Amino acid sequence: MIDNRLAAIHASDVSVSVELETPEMTLNLGPQHPSTHGVLRLVAKVDGEMITSVEPVIGYMHRGYEKLAEVRTYPQITALVNRIDWVSGFANEIPFMVAVERLMGIEAPPRAQYIRLILTEMARISSHLVFLSSYPLELGAATPLMHALRERERVLDLIEGVTGGRFHPNFNRIGGVKPAAGGGSGQKKVLQDLPAGFLADTRKAMDEVDDVCDDMVNLVLGNEIFVKRTRGVGIIPKDRGMEFGVSGPNLRASGVKFDLRKSDAYLPYANFEFDIPTGANGDCLDRYWVRMEEIRQATRIVRQAIDGLPGGDLQAKVPRIIKVPAGEVYVRAENPKGEMGYHVVSEGGRGPYRLKIRSASFSNISVLPWLLVGQLVPDIIAVLGSLDFVLGDVDR
Amino acid sequence: MNPSEAAEHFAGLVGAGRFSSDFGTAKVFVPRERWVEAHRTLKPHLPFFSWLSAIDWSNERAVGEPAESPVEERYEVLSRLGDVTEGNAVILSTDVPKDAPSLPTLVGVYGGANWHERESAEMFGIVFEGHPNTAHLYLPDGFEGHPLRKTFPLLSREVKPWPGTVDVEGMPGETNTEAGDGEPEAEA
Repeated sequence: MIDNRLAAIHASDVSVSVELETPEMTLNLGPQHPSTHGVLRLVAKVDGEMITSVEPVIGYMHRGYEKLAEVRTYPQITALVNRIDWVSGFANEIPFMVAVERLMGIEAPPRAQYIRLILTEMARISSHLVFLSSYPLELGAATPLMHALRERERVLDLIEGVTGGRFHPNFNRIGGVKPAAGGGSGQKKVLQDLPAGFLADTRKAMDEVDDVCDDMVNLVLGNEIFVKRTRGVGIIPKDRGMEFGVSGPNLRASGVKFDLRKSDAYLPYANFEFDIPTGANGDCLDRYWVRMEEIRQATRIVRQAIDGLPGGDLQAKVPRIIKVPAGEVYVRAENPKGEMGYHVVSEGGRGPYRLKIRSASFSNISVLPWLLVGQLVPDIIAVLGSLDFVLGDVDR
Repeated sequence: MNPSEAAEHFAGLVGAGRFSSDFGTAKVFVPRERWVEAHRTLKPHLPFFSWLSAIDWSNERAVGEPAESPVEERYEVLSRLGDVTEGNAVILSTDVPKDAPSLPTLVGVYGGANWHERESAEMFGIVFEGHPNTAHLYLPDGFEGHPLRKTFPLLSREVKPWPGTVDVEGMPGETNTEAGDGEPEAEA
């Protein structure tokens, strides 16, 4: 009896060869869903397992930074901007600082620029490590999380040692980096530089980060399930990506060899040797691979920067009350999530007349309504995760 | 190309007479009637759509510092395009009058303009003619007003003064209340 039933199951055509008539169904995902990295809501229309249309609903975390910036002074805005993409808070501050400095006609001293660069790359490493570990988790693999977060914690500890903050460093100042701590107005200020042992500890941490990348290759890219769930899924063609403003690792995964660190001189990246990893197909697997390679390039840059770290001042001479001459400037930077930029419009006052924040994740997920059509419902999770967005960076 | 060459080059391509490259930011001014056409012309050269936004040039201000000298009342719409080879990029700018704030949509040229235009529409009240989706992007459905207009007050600031005023600096919009004794910054 049982054998007969089993035989019948085997005999039945399990692959769907009949056109099944299914009514169109609306599937709501989020805003509270673990895979959405925060509060993103997707309203999908599905035909069986196939997605026919998707409408992302955003704005649950809109904090109105562009309006808030209009009532704050330039130094105070530093505290706002590192809360945009909180996974790499330090990197968010850089383009804003460079934009204001460019309007004021000042430049941070070389040592400050190198410190900015080292910490930016460490922010990139920690951001990418979160991605490398949480993405497999979303696809069902829990082990990588334990491996990569350990090293990420080590990197965050180092950032905290220098800046005092793990997520929101608030360490950059217009004209340099935070120069002094302690001391009151009557006392001579105690100068603060990198903490003792920072360079040696960082060098050691970079080796360990490289090691964890090797682990990830075995653990994740060697995992057949992971590869099957990501290869050929969520392909973003080059032209489509550019038209939608998809940038950073997401665009490089589609085979575009372009990196603002090479083309825009906002930090002295020209002094270092590093490669731009690119993908071939633009699928989820390539996006994973590109970020892993970017970590290796980042550790390479950090080592070179430690070797070449110049001495000297941490701060250019700036007036006590910062007033920015009238003008407009747009400065963009290669952040872990992609192109992040600030368009600062000044009328000559203590705060900007208008601050436009170009955040990478916003444009990166704006391609979703196009990208998810024709995908299967379980692949929503794979595609969402692979874009590596942060809702603070989407909503601002 | 450096920014000034880029501004001149792309202004030439779209036939625009006014361009600038102050502070290394290439900017080309195009008339409102040729907004879409200019983008279509530049797309083969600058395929990367970075962002679109607007500036409310206003003399009546509920937030920030009062105008030192009067500005010309208008909305300025900006869009930033770039390439992905040499890093050339340009900001296209056009003026939209306040009594009829409308501009044709760019969605047919750059698909990525969709969300950016929705954002500018709700924040500034600019109508993008032909836009496929006019629903709010960030703001709740029933929200009234356009928050990034200069006449829109920041209510939290009206209710409670900014606690940051204990700082040595005055806030934008206030008279300078420098509390410090004016000692120079410590030398590093």
